[in-house]
Amino acid sequence: MIDRLVVIAEARYTRLVLVGLLFLSLQTTIFNEMRPFGVCLQVMLLLAASSGLAKGSQTGAMAGFIVGLLYDMVLTTPMGLCAAVFGIVGYLAGYVHTFVHESTWWSRMLAALGVSAIGMFLLPVAFTITGAEGVLTPHVFVVVITVAIFNAALSLPAEWLCNWAIRDEATMR
Amino acid sequence: MAGYSFTRRRAILLLSLTSVLLITLDLRGSSVTNFARSAFGVVFRPIESATRVVTRPIQNTWNGITHYNSVVDENRRLRDLVAYDEGATVSAIASVREAQELLALNGLPTLAGISSCTAQVVGQSPSNFAQTVELNRGSECGIKVGMPVLNAAGMIGKVTDVYSKRAVVMLITDPGYSLAVKVVNTPPTTTTTTIPGQSTDSSSSTTTTTTTTTTIPRTTTSTIKGFTPGGTIASTTSIAGTGSTSPTGTVGPNQPGKNTNSPITVPAGADLPLRETGALEGRGLSKRPIVRFVENQPRFGSVAVGSPIISAGGATSLAPPDIVVGTVSRVVKRTGTLGPILEVKLSANLDSLNFVRVLLYQPLTERPSVP
Repeated sequence: MIDRLVVIAEARYTRLVLVGLLFLSLQTTIFNEMRPFGVCLQVMLLLAASSGLAKGSQTGAMAGFIVGLLYDMVLTTPMGLCAAVFGIVGYLAGYVHTFVHESTWWSRMLAALGVSAIGMFLLPVAFTITGAEGVLTPHVFVVVITVAIFNAALSLPAEWLCNWAIRDEATMR
Repeated sequence: MAGYSFTRRRAILLLSLTSVLLITLDLRGSSVTNFARSAFGVVFRPIESATRVVTRPIQNTWNGITHYNSVVDENRRLRDLVAYDEGATVSAIASVREAQELLALNGLPTLAGISSCTAQVVGQSPSNFAQTVELNRGSECGIKVGMPVLNAAGMIGKVTDVYSKRAVVMLITDPGYSLAVKVVNTPPTTTTTTIPGQSTDSSSSTTTTTTTTTTIPRTTTSTIKGFTPGGTIASTTSIAGTGSTSPTGTVGPNQPGKNTNSPITVPAGADLPLRETGALEGRGLSKRPIVRFVENQPRFGSVAVGSPIISAGGATSLAPPDIVVGTVSRVVKRTGTLGPILEVKLSANLDSLNFVRVLLYQPLTERPSVP
């Protein structure tokens, strides 16, 4: 029984959930208060994108889904919506990066910028599809640009953190 | 490679189906998702509180850098406002109590008869697309979904989610919010000004439209010790034939302890403020709410900028009557019989909410239907 618990605790997605909770607490406190240009910066989206950049599209999709689900728990929007969007973002981050022959720090930042922008545009579209009104406004462009730049700036340390959190069990041992 | 691709497709398909299932469950109002959110809140709140304590210095530094000038300006403005309001507060309280007594006397519903729960705003939505705030009181206080929430200035929204020790409030600016409201328009009056020394023919008189303040005769009952409403400006009523005068409230049909044929004093109709109902709709954070469906009635006249807007009440309304919502900030006129669209400046400042009051009044439309 204890062995099984230890195995679960050592699982990479367990570590991701713990990191996700830490990011979520930052999201709901400090990043909820600090709003440059009136935009709430999205560190949960950063975590999803960085997971994809760090571990490829499949792991990125799974990690993005988990991170999005955590975010859904504190939002009033339909549960599963952010999970779906962040899953797409994680997948895209890994997929886009496969086209890069020799990845550099700036290509990773560029990929983080692109997928964050796509994610922040997909979110209001998804909200609209599920019945929300008045979210697709010109303000979305300000949100997209601000969040994308912020996520690009922090993508390298976030990717390093994701590399540590979602590393294989074999590597860890 | 083919096997890997198949696994990947299967994983993505599984994630997509899970998302669709969760969204469907939540949109259908399943209790599973509510329970999951509630359970997650129990686990997550301590982590959030700890993070808030740790990050508070950073937040304060940020606020110091970005909001210093506005805080100084606001402080100066508030000092002026406090000085201005201090004198008016006492008479305002007395007027409100008087109005409540009068409504109770006539068997009309008042806010005084509705219990409330005071709560503090502990956070706002971390999303860029939802206008909600979170309160630190929940179902333990009697809060239920649909209850109106107001602060000292006026209406701020309605409760949309309730957990045991927290509640989520949809703000009045959210595009999903709609409320039946009344627009109180002061009636235009016609005053004829006669120039002294000239005859009052049509060529020498000037007709102007002015706004007048209507003073309704009041009884002098007050529950505030040592304070008599209207005592400083006590108007008098002449008794025909005698030439003597008596204070307002001691003559006429509404004398204390006397049975009369007319239990309610109705002031002259022309002096009463005119009211018209409409529907207030939120339009997001960047735009002011608007009032639609105001009828284009000649008697109601043109809506003046600054006219107060209050909740209309009624069986299907989200809020009891006479809660202050705001004032008209802009009137968009439309052609034909279409009534104007009114932009509303909210009384409550939604950017700096702290203590709020949840009225324990659940509208009929928000009550769960019994199968």
